[in-house]
Amino acid sequence: MDILTQQLFNGLTIGSVYSLVALGLTLVYGILHIPNFAHGALYMLGAYITLTLMLLWGVHYWIAMAVSVLVVGLLGVIMDRLVFHPLRNAPPIHDKIAAIGILLFLEAFAQLIWGADYRTMETPYGQVIDLFGMTATMQRVLINIGAIVVMILLFLFLKKTYIGSTIIAMAQNREGAHLVGINTNKVAMLTFMISGGLAAIAASLSAPINLVFPGMGHLVILKAFVIIILGGMGSVPGAILGGYILGFTESLGATYLSNDYKDIIAFLMLVVILSIKPKGLFSREGF
Amino acid sequence: MNVIKLSVFLLVSTLLLMMAGCIDNPSNEAASESGNESETGTEAPEVEEGEEVVNIGYSGPLSGPAAYYGERTLNGLTMAVEEINDNGGFEVDGQTYKFNVVALDDKYLPNETAANAKRLLQENQTPIIFSPHSGGIKAMQVFNEKENFLIGAYTSEPDATEAGNELTVRIPPSYDGYLEPFTKYAMENHGEKLAALPTASQYGKDWTEALVPYWKEQGGEVVYNSSIDFSKDTDFFTLVTNALKEEPDVLFIGGPSEPTAKVAKQARELGFEGGFIVMDQAKLDEMKSVTGSYEDLEGSVGVTPLINSDYPGTAEFVEKYKEEHGQNPGSEAGYHYVAMYTFMEAMKAAGSVDDPEAIRAHMQEGLDALPEDKQVYTIEEIGENGGFTTNLRIAAVEDGGVVTINVE
Repeated sequence: MDILTQQLFNGLTIGSVYSLVALGLTLVYGILHIPNFAHGALYMLGAYITLTLMLLWGVHYWIAMAVSVLVVGLLGVIMDRLVFHPLRNAPPIHDKIAAIGILLFLEAFAQLIWGADYRTMETPYGQVIDLFGMTATMQRVLINIGAIVVMILLFLFLKKTYIGSTIIAMAQNREGAHLVGINTNKVAMLTFMISGGLAAIAASLSAPINLVFPGMGHLVILKAFVIIILGGMGSVPGAILGGYILGFTESLGATYLSNDYKDIIAFLMLVVILSIKPKGLFSREGF
Repeated sequence: MNVIKLSVFLLVSTLLLMMAGCIDNPSNEAASESGNESETGTEAPEVEEGEEVVNIGYSGPLSGPAAYYGERTLNGLTMAVEEINDNGGFEVDGQTYKFNVVALDDKYLPNETAANAKRLLQENQTPIIFSPHSGGIKAMQVFNEKENFLIGAYTSEPDATEAGNELTVRIPPSYDGYLEPFTKYAMENHGEKLAALPTASQYGKDWTEALVPYWKEQGGEVVYNSSIDFSKDTDFFTLVTNALKEEPDVLFIGGPSEPTAKVAKQARELGFEGGFIVMDQAKLDEMKSVTGSYEDLEGSVGVTPLINSDYPGTAEFVEKYKEEHGQNPGSEAGYHYVAMYTFMEAMKAAGSVDDPEAIRAHMQEGLDALPEDKQVYTIEEIGENGGFTTNLRIAAVEDGGVVTINVE
């Protein structure tokens, strides 16, 4: 029984990270239909920027994270303006190639600047706590709470604010949105901004439980793609649910079936879900 | 609008570059200068009149997740070469030679290593090619005898030399020597229940397959055995929870030092109180830089970190390496350094710089001729199969410090 609750908690933690990364990916896909492979690199940069601020200037963890969200968000906007916007009328394959190019560029860039070595991010929340008989660190609790808070904020933003509605409108119908006077370029930039910010939050929250290195984006990006396919490309609830499903499958699959096959279990589930619902759990109707 | 765009872009890029600076890795007491070192490998040495250049090939991971490891191996190699060249090169048969390291990136992929080797042979006529991973070494062994070049094999995989390849020199000791002392130490100090959590690479699997039967033979019990893929898993809590469920006395961990240390740390967070057996790829001192202190690693047994070794040339090498790279060297740098000097001595003894067979045949003389101050490791002899024999020394963490244990 102990093992079950502990593993449920572990699944929740890892699911939270997956969900946050997948959310950024699904937002961009929903609006612009770009599979943004460079999202993993944004995640990595988010961790590096937070870490740099903390080590170089001794900035507090939360403030460093806020700056990182801003910087990576802006980087997302720049990516849109410099690369994806000029390609908006090009065949879809060009976007994909460009995204992969950005991914490789940013990774090499990070290695050039920060070096290839593994770094650790120390936060003030390393202490071990006992949570209803489970063992956890403060940081892990923060990951869970942080992810839920961010999801709620994102939901409120999309559903309750005017700007949020423009994003939904554009996701539902790009031409339609344009016709009623929505500035689609601005919305696209905003989406990239949010997407980059989400990546930075996810990375800053999860980096303390792992390490920071140029290749760290690979740990999550492939899984994030699985999640948004599972949840329905471009669907926000799909990304959240998909993230938690994958997190729980990994932790419970590793415990009760076999650790060596946990990836196979996850992908098998993808196959099953897609055969029943070919468009993913939430076929996209806006968000 | 364009002006705004441009200024935002410039602002962000300046910000990024500013942040870049060099952030100190607090535990490594050093700035990260190592990132730019890979370039030095391709710079040709200054050659005076009448001197000739011998190209030395290197193919290893210089980008991607294992880049850090690759850089450290290359650092050892280039340090030796620069020293030799600065001292005026070396003389074979009245002709003075200098070395030039040609380093290519293989991203840890065996097929790339093979392609790199072919390129090195064609473009640079390298008599020796170094590679620091077993996959790449195996890939080169397919054709190295035919194409006639020596492999400087940095791997502890016993297979690298047992297959009987005539032109392979295995530099570090093979890991099967560690089975007995590690097992003995762990069983005596902690207990007989082992949980294995090795890295998911081929090397990790082979290590585990060697250790598990031996552990059982000695009367131990293996309660859990599953590998961690450091290139796929974001969090190790799940796995470690499962491994600890059976209440093991000893955890067998390994892989690159830093992620391995994370596994150890998470095991402690989950309440594990036993000891660790650490695979030889991970080094205790590098693990400490992740955990912060040796406290979390108490009761670990592993290979002796280079900085805790006391071979005749170790202290000088550590000093020099620190000066150049701003951090403590690991054994991969040390072994490459020694190997390069040994190859040079062997070339002198063989009277040839481009006949791999002759060089290989005179390796023993090369080892014997190695001056004491270059012996970062003292290598007694080269086995018939091409493996260097170093006196095994292992280390354990006791009372917050590293203790060396001598093995007969």
